[in-house]
Amino acid sequence: MRKRSVKMVGATREGDASQDGRAIVTRQLRKEFDDLVAVDDLDLTIGKGTLYGMIGPNGSGKTTTIKMLVGLLKPSSGTAEVLGERIPLKGRISDIGYMPQEMAIYTDLTVSENLQLFGSIYSMGQERLLERQEELLSMVDLSDRGDSLASQLSGGMKHRVSLACAMMHDPEVLFLDEPTVGVDPELRMGFWHHFDDLKARGRTVVITTHYMDEAVRCDIVGMMRQGKLIAEGSPRDLMDRSSTSNLEDAFMAFSKGVAE
Amino acid sequence: MKLKRVTAVARKTLRSLKHDRRTAGFLVLMPLFMIAIFGYTFGGELKDISVYVVNLDEGTVNGSASASMIDELQSRDVLRTLEPSWPDGYAQSVDSVVDNVRNGDAWAVIVFPQNFSSNVESAIDGPADYLSSIQGILWIYIDASNPNIASAIITEVQTTVQRVLLTQYDIASPVLISQDMVYGEDAEFIDFFAPGVMGLAAMMVTFMLSIISFVHERSTGTLDRLLTTPLTEGEIVAGYAVALGVVGLIQSLVILSTAILLFQVQIVGSALLVLLVVFLLGVGNQGLGFLLSSIAKNEFQAVQFMPLILFPSILLAGVFWPLEAVPDLLRPVSNFIPLTYAVEGCRSIMIRGWGLGEVWPEVTVLVCFAAAMLLLSTYGLRRRR
Repeated sequence: MRKRSVKMVGATREGDASQDGRAIVTRQLRKEFDDLVAVDDLDLTIGKGTLYGMIGPNGSGKTTTIKMLVGLLKPSSGTAEVLGERIPLKGRISDIGYMPQEMAIYTDLTVSENLQLFGSIYSMGQERLLERQEELLSMVDLSDRGDSLASQLSGGMKHRVSLACAMMHDPEVLFLDEPTVGVDPELRMGFWHHFDDLKARGRTVVITTHYMDEAVRCDIVGMMRQGKLIAEGSPRDLMDRSSTSNLEDAFMAFSKGVAE
Repeated sequence: MKLKRVTAVARKTLRSLKHDRRTAGFLVLMPLFMIAIFGYTFGGELKDISVYVVNLDEGTVNGSASASMIDELQSRDVLRTLEPSWPDGYAQSVDSVVDNVRNGDAWAVIVFPQNFSSNVESAIDGPADYLSSIQGILWIYIDASNPNIASAIITEVQTTVQRVLLTQYDIASPVLISQDMVYGEDAEFIDFFAPGVMGLAAMMVTFMLSIISFVHERSTGTLDRLLTTPLTEGEIVAGYAVALGVVGLIQSLVILSTAILLFQVQIVGSALLVLLVVFLLGVGNQGLGFLLSSIAKNEFQAVQFMPLILFPSILLAGVFWPLEAVPDLLRPVSNFIPLTYAVEGCRSIMIRGWGLGEVWPEVTVLVCFAAAMLLLSTYGLRRRR
């Protein structure tokens, strides 16, 4: 695990983020829906090669933040950069991958056709595409289901296909919104091994999750509540600061303002 | 815009249709069904209309005008003449025969009165003061609840009378109408509406597929997902346009070949030009479906748009009735319906044998329609971000 101090992660500096090892920088990022503030002046800095976990209850602004970063929602105010480019991305859009919370795969296509669609969108060559397809299908344990229509798969399987689609072009930054929902524990372990691999190859992975116990596997965990980052740091650090033994309790402590 | 990405979207759209066997079958069979149903219903001329003939005419020494007319009627197949059974009392019996019309067993009763032949003769031989003489009067009691049938009966009787007058009494109308068909020699009604049905089928399907697919893409989140890739809005729209344009083309081929094989529809002009017109219409309607899909929140709401778009098109675009039959008030609406131009274009190509040199106004309108729809949907999609 890469060692980095909490302070440095939270810091915001001027300059091109791509030059200084920062994959994502948001400053005063805000999103309002009518009179609801979904994301409240968020300052976030995520270093390259980080496995970053966003945790927090429903409605805490995790998904909205990600949607702004991938260009699906326009911020009400504030700015954000991904790989040094201001959102919405244009030049670097090929370097991000996104797995939305809803499964968002084409259920009227087969599993392989879904992967091929995303591969060809990124102009992957046929050979590379098939190679990658095989690799990912085995990672999500669907090697024998390549020719099945996605509509015939179980919910968990669809989720796995969705994850594979997001990873097809091996992006530098991967946004995964609840990737482990409906995935059985054994396979979930496999996923996390894979995320570690990605990190080892210098990829940045941003994951939102409900499962606090999984978040322990992240390098840095950002705890969100009501559109704000209430605490951020390595899991160990967060537990120490809140004198708790797990992230769930730590989250409760930070929510109540007990810690810090 | 990158061609490779456009084809990726087009291929994906066609592939999903391929997997959905029922929809794919529907796309091919629906136009087949439409043309067959319309062809058999409208294609045949009216035939075997039941009418009762009551002949009370006693004739003259020269023969009977009514008998000749009845023979003539029977030699043709539009009317099926029925003999009433004879109860006693003439006056009563005519009325009882008309009961057959009243209760719907027959469409008309044709009555030749007692002195029909003699009145005809005296009118012919009578003084030049034509009106003062008594004419032979032929009564028709008719159920005009179906105007087509009523006018067919009347035309048939008039034709018969004229023929008999000519052959038996050497009386011809002083005016002869000489017809010279500039276009559409041997054209039957099916030749008129086959191009219309083709345009209608292509339009219905591309619009329907487009609006449903896009509502689905929006509600399942796949559209969002596409927008986070290097795919541009224009590429997504273009990919769909190509795919649905191809679907429209396949349908037109089905309709064209069915119309030719089954109903001997004539294509005087270029079939390729017809397909081009249909392709443009398909692409435009795809765009329209796309635009409306942004207003519809779910598939159910999307379905509600269909009659809104389809009914005016069916009724006002000249598919089954000529535009001249559209009331003045609604004419401007006809002019705003792209299908109007597609139908007019296809008709001119197929019946009149016109080429691009003549149908360019229709083609231009369709090109503009398609371009406007594609640009608007691209813009609409871009605004979403």
